[in-house]
Amino acid sequence: MSLPQTPYNYSLTQPLYDWHPWNMKWILFFGALIGSGICDRETFSGHQVFRINIRNEDEISKLNRLVNSDNLKLDLWKSPSTLGHPADVLVPSFSLQEVKSFLEDHGLEYSVAIEDLQIHKEMDSIVKSYPHLVSAVKIGHSFENRLMYVLKFSTGKGRQRPAILLNAGIHAREWISSATAIWTARKIACDYGRDLVITSILEKMDIFLLPVANPDGYVYTHTHNRLWRKTRSVNPRSTCIGADPNRNWDSHFGGVGTSNDPCSDTYHGLHAHSEVEVKSVADFITNHGDFKCLIDLHSYSQLVMYPYGYTTSRVPDADELDMVARNASKAMASLSGTQYQVGSVGSTVYTASGNTIDWAYDNGIKYAFSFELRDTGFYAFALPADQIIPTAQETWLGLKTIMEHVRNNI
Amino acid sequence: MQLRRQPLSAPRPGDTRPAAQRLAVPLLLLLALQGAAASGGPEDSGWLQDAEPSSRLLSQAARAALHFFNFRAASPSALQVLANVLDGRSWVNQKKEYKFDLVFTTEFYSAEEGEKRLGKCSAQVFFRNEKPRPAVNVTCTQLVKKERRQEEDYQLYKLMKQLKSPLNAVSIPDSHGYIAPSLRPIWDLAFLGSSYVMWQKSTPFLHYYMSQISSVKQWKTNDDAIDFDYTVLLHEFSTQEIIPCRIHLVWYPSKPLKVKYHCQERQTPEEASGTEEGSAVALTELSNF
Repeated sequence: MSLPQTPYNYSLTQPLYDWHPWNMKWILFFGALIGSGICDRETFSGHQVFRINIRNEDEISKLNRLVNSDNLKLDLWKSPSTLGHPADVLVPSFSLQEVKSFLEDHGLEYSVAIEDLQIHKEMDSIVKSYPHLVSAVKIGHSFENRLMYVLKFSTGKGRQRPAILLNAGIHAREWISSATAIWTARKIACDYGRDLVITSILEKMDIFLLPVANPDGYVYTHTHNRLWRKTRSVNPRSTCIGADPNRNWDSHFGGVGTSNDPCSDTYHGLHAHSEVEVKSVADFITNHGDFKCLIDLHSYSQLVMYPYGYTTSRVPDADELDMVARNASKAMASLSGTQYQVGSVGSTVYTASGNTIDWAYDNGIKYAFSFELRDTGFYAFALPADQIIPTAQETWLGLKTIMEHVRNNI
Repeated sequence: MQLRRQPLSAPRPGDTRPAAQRLAVPLLLLLALQGAAASGGPEDSGWLQDAEPSSRLLSQAARAALHFFNFRAASPSALQVLANVLDGRSWVNQKKEYKFDLVFTTEFYSAEEGEKRLGKCSAQVFFRNEKPRPAVNVTCTQLVKKERRQEEDYQLYKLMKQLKSPLNAVSIPDSHGYIAPSLRPIWDLAFLGSSYVMWQKSTPFLHYYMSQISSVKQWKTNDDAIDFDYTVLLHEFSTQEIIPCRIHLVWYPSKPLKVKYHCQERQTPEEASGTEEGSAVALTELSNF
């Protein structure tokens, strides 16, 4: 199934939302954003594209009735000009339930376009908009053969520089992680040359950003199971699918806080780096050879953490990492008062061996941090769309704090 | 808020256990709890106080206490969640059972933006090995006057009575975190029922959040009470598992909550049934220690 040809610009001029009470929050957001400059332009809003099969005249009139209903705010991208051709309808997030009910009640066949392609489209758009700063680097592919791209932000003109990796979406259901990452990508590009801090960071270092580190899992949360966590790899001696990519790294692999049961959500995998998604990133970092900082974004719980996860014992650099984490947390709270607790992974959440930042720290990346973004359990993984931008904005302050410290200390 | 002491009432219809047995079990637990509550130092039944209680453990115990509190209050308009642990002591014995003495702040589950009123609770929580549910004794400051709380519960109840069955919603919230305003009372009531389950299942090492209502089997309001049969997905820390639990509750404002549940446990090969009849009346004898 191919997506509609019409490119969709998530721009402020799109007249999507009017006076629906749920929309009011979006209007207020956009109003506030205009004042803060174009660099905060929203890029991800949680709506979906429905492809509806039209088989007869009766179904055309039903579709028209649906599309014309005022409060649903639907946008007909491709109308069924001839029978047998499907219609593509853009459905805002607040109307998803009603549209699905309508389609099911009236026996209309439909499918939902896959949202990860929206993230890749946005990545392409950023590269196109800022070609002198941003490029896309292919680092590998997923188990189901989806391409894995990082965005590279560099003013180095080809010369290798010490680098920072922002890693997101390693756990499929943690959508706010990828949404924050893609917002951050555009923010970095836009603020370069305008904001002193990010400009000075990019004068000395390269930033790499991986918005979806687990693309198969991410797609699966859209098509089958919203609460899927792991990869989608096939386990040789089990009907259960996938391993926990944040237990699959080569650092105390298989230790406490992991499971050797393929059906478990913390299954560590067959062996360290058995998951191709993990191996791709590990190899990329190792081959580069000069990463100084890795920040891994997760949700939920509102935490800023540093190594180790496999033990509650302190790392040698605990004092410095704790101070940096506390400064990041303070910066994040300064925007909306959101509180992020600070500590090592093992002493703050639970022991978890084989996780990303333990491996990073053990491989010379001193500034290794793990963020758990909003919230603290009310919406949990299903964070509403109106919290994406506030989360991304406050997280940005935390990221800048850390990156600035790294820049000043390498 | 002081928990109201429910008078011991006549057996409810459908309660088929013999009277002697109904009294015997609570009495036994009464004695056991008194024994536990009396101990406080190392000289008593091998309890060793933790010199540096982990804040994570203290928070988990506080959450378990709050789940129990919310269940007993049976008030969907006044659900409380943990804000901060102010003070806590913990003990462990040779049988690896845990005891906690806690003081913590709470805030409203449904707090509006900017409304940051804090409640304060003190609790004793006892995680035993034999009985799955932690024994809880909890007292909280009254955040809302009883009359106002009962009035808001009644308003919620009236809103719920207007919802037509069968409910069209499949998951609440949907994938994008959206809860239709008309369905918000259902979410609060579901959380109340889930509080009972989460209290039952909490251990010092496992705690829960309600992720999503994944289906509504039945929503009956033709009699006075709300009869709600639904499946909820609980997110379990630290295993990260998603546990589906089928919950059936009956609620009427200002009356104790009746709830039954059955959770699908992934760990054991067969389904582990946590089916248990939960009635606040039968549990009264346990609660006020």
